[in-house]
Amino acid sequence: MTTPPANTPPLPVPDAPAGDASAALVLTGLVKRFGQKVAVDHVGLSVPVGSFYALVGPNGAGKTTTLSMATGLLRPDAGTAVVHGVDVWQHPVEAKRMIGNLADGIRLFDRLTGEQLVTYTGMMFGLPHDVVAQRTADLLALMDLREAAGTAVVDYSAGMTKKIALACALVHAPRLLVLDEPFESVDPVSAANIEDVLRGYTGSGGTVIVSSHSMDLVQRMCDHVAVIAAGRVLAAGTTDEVRGSETLQDRFVDLVGGRHRTEGPEWLRQS
Amino acid sequence: MVATVLRIRFRVLGNTLAANPWQLVGYILGGVWALAVLFLAVAGLVAVGFAGLEPTRLVITAAGGVLTLVWVLAPLFVAGVDTTLDPQRFAPFPLSTRQIMVALAAGGLTGVPGLATLLAGVGTLAAWFHWPVALITAIVCVPLGVLVCVLASQLITALAAGGGGSRRTRELASIAIFAVLVLAGPIAVGVTQLARLASTATTPFGGIAGVIEGVSWTPIAAAWAAPGDLASGAVASGVLKLAIALATVVALWYLWRWSLVQQIAHPAQRRVNRVAAGTLGWFGRMPTGGVGATWARSLTSWTRDPRYLRQLLIVPLFPVIVLFYSRFELSSPFFAFSATIVAFLLGVVPYADVSYDGSAFATVLQTGIRGRDDRLGRLLGAAGVGVPAIVVVALVTVALSGRWDLLAAVLGSSLGLLLTGYAACAVSSALIVVPVPASGDNPFKRVPGASFSMFLSFFALWIGTAILAAPEIVLAIFAAVTGDALLGWLALAVGLVLGVVLAIVGVAVGGRVFDRNGSVLLQRIRSFKGM
Repeated sequence: MTTPPANTPPLPVPDAPAGDASAALVLTGLVKRFGQKVAVDHVGLSVPVGSFYALVGPNGAGKTTTLSMATGLLRPDAGTAVVHGVDVWQHPVEAKRMIGNLADGIRLFDRLTGEQLVTYTGMMFGLPHDVVAQRTADLLALMDLREAAGTAVVDYSAGMTKKIALACALVHAPRLLVLDEPFESVDPVSAANIEDVLRGYTGSGGTVIVSSHSMDLVQRMCDHVAVIAAGRVLAAGTTDEVRGSETLQDRFVDLVGGRHRTEGPEWLRQS
Repeated sequence: MVATVLRIRFRVLGNTLAANPWQLVGYILGGVWALAVLFLAVAGLVAVGFAGLEPTRLVITAAGGVLTLVWVLAPLFVAGVDTTLDPQRFAPFPLSTRQIMVALAAGGLTGVPGLATLLAGVGTLAAWFHWPVALITAIVCVPLGVLVCVLASQLITALAAGGGGSRRTRELASIAIFAVLVLAGPIAVGVTQLARLASTATTPFGGIAGVIEGVSWTPIAAAWAAPGDLASGAVASGVLKLAIALATVVALWYLWRWSLVQQIAHPAQRRVNRVAAGTLGWFGRMPTGGVGATWARSLTSWTRDPRYLRQLLIVPLFPVIVLFYSRFELSSPFFAFSATIVAFLLGVVPYADVSYDGSAFATVLQTGIRGRDDRLGRLLGAAGVGVPAIVVVALVTVALSGRWDLLAAVLGSSLGLLLTGYAACAVSSALIVVPVPASGDNPFKRVPGASFSMFLSFFALWIGTAILAAPEIVLAIFAAVTGDALLGWLALAVGLVLGVVLAIVGVAVGGRVFDRNGSVLLQRIRSFKGM
């Protein structure tokens, strides 16, 4: 399963070492093809315990696909994903208990009210009812959703939906949080509140891996970053290592390329 | 503009079919079927033309009426016909409502059903050929008749898609429309039978001629009846029917226009319903853990989600339909066994239950739930609604028919069939996902991507369920035929025991399939649009 087929090109980045006990998440040689297109091409990453790890890359770089494979939602064509020493695809039940996942672009069971949805998710992890009730109340308060607790999630705004999904990802107190675009369409106040919670979480030994398009946010919040483009890891390490003397934004553009300076076509100018 | 829209529509169709070979097969089979029906229809029309004016009038009027009815009802029942032309997608473009309507109507006319109808309409000319007056009138009437079909169908689509109102109202309204339409068939049959009883069989077609004569004055058949009336010298009624047909086209056009404007200008308004915080519903009552959580979620869907409620409509409606078809003979064993037929239909309803999760299925997978827990939770959720429903139907129909001697046989065969169906679904829903309306969408929304192979797998599942439940069905039939009470009780015992055993096996097998196949299901769900 880990042997790459003969027709794939040589690896751009050495696969991360497996079995690293100090790592919360180790991805080794992950490959996913959709038909002819190779969406993820031998991605290897090692996410240290307690780190705030960012996955950045242009649209279609394979971030979501990588995270889906890391969390047990999409079976890789090759490679492994190991969470705290447990292989996600060999022992999915044990691995998934440790993962809190906020996947991007999926619906929720949106006929349920926000409160019911968080309760349901807690029950899925087998938490006792009283624990679920306490945690649900805490999370709704944390996400500023107490007012909307009894409203069906289908009637939530995009940002509220994101927040309730995040609450669901947190309810079983996972050791690893995998957040795909967590701050998209979340208002600034809620974003700041959530940021505080995530900082406290990593400070106490939890690990967060986020994918994001916002370089400013990554530079401010994350201590580690991996740049992915066209399904490959272009650079990975601590944020300071990756950006060097430049801003992360400039470094990202250097690595990924494709920036062009133009004021747009003639016909689009209004004067 | 219309040409551009049509070009896009055929390009979309071409791309869809090129990407899905099975859908292409289904499309080709559909086309072949349409051609075969068309051939038979035209052959029949030519033949009836030689039989004389009176049979020709009756046949063409009746066939035209039925054809129009099919067009009216099809948008509500047939899934995956044509969603390439959705009026709301035209909204951002600078097009007038009239332009959109012309484009939509042209789109309806150029599909397989539209072309088939048009050709069949032209085929009536082969029958009218013997009477020049009819032939000339038909040249006007056939386009009118086809237009009535296309416009009525578009109007129903627009109404079903619904404009304005709160989500809940819209959902309830569409379910009510559906209920009325399901009953329309039996009511029509009942009316026909009454008419048959009332009229004496003087014409070659018996009492049915009277009914057709009546129907020919209604908008659905007037266009098809006018040529025959004029040819037979009934000038006044012929002209009047022509006027009715014209008025129908005009009325349909303006009604459609109104509903489209409603739909485009007031898309799906939101009126937020909220319950008090702390209202946990089933989630507060079920035990914690994967089974309990799934059970509560499933039960919530079965009792609140219109997409599920719609599928429960067969429970009250089917006994009524059976009653109509057994000519109101309450004591007929068929009516007493309504529960068995309902159970047969209801048991296989969740055959692709995971589809209704949509991409929210990802949130199920990411909890790492064991397959057997998921299967059991879904089965208990379905049974939580299905078993009481079947017991109620059995009690009510048996009570109405007074055949208390059959109660054990009815309960045994129906509950056995229901549980067997659920067992089959526990396996099949770990294997199959089909495109269904997304949560919050109109439950009758037509969804693209349903393929022929999906219908085949559903059919196979149905047959398999019937075979697995054969012991209790056979016992129940023998009990009904011989009147032996012991056989009835035996059917009850066998049905319950076998049903429960099969359900356990289904959960175990389905659970293993689910563990292996879950991520593939998710990938397939995500490949459907808008999930």
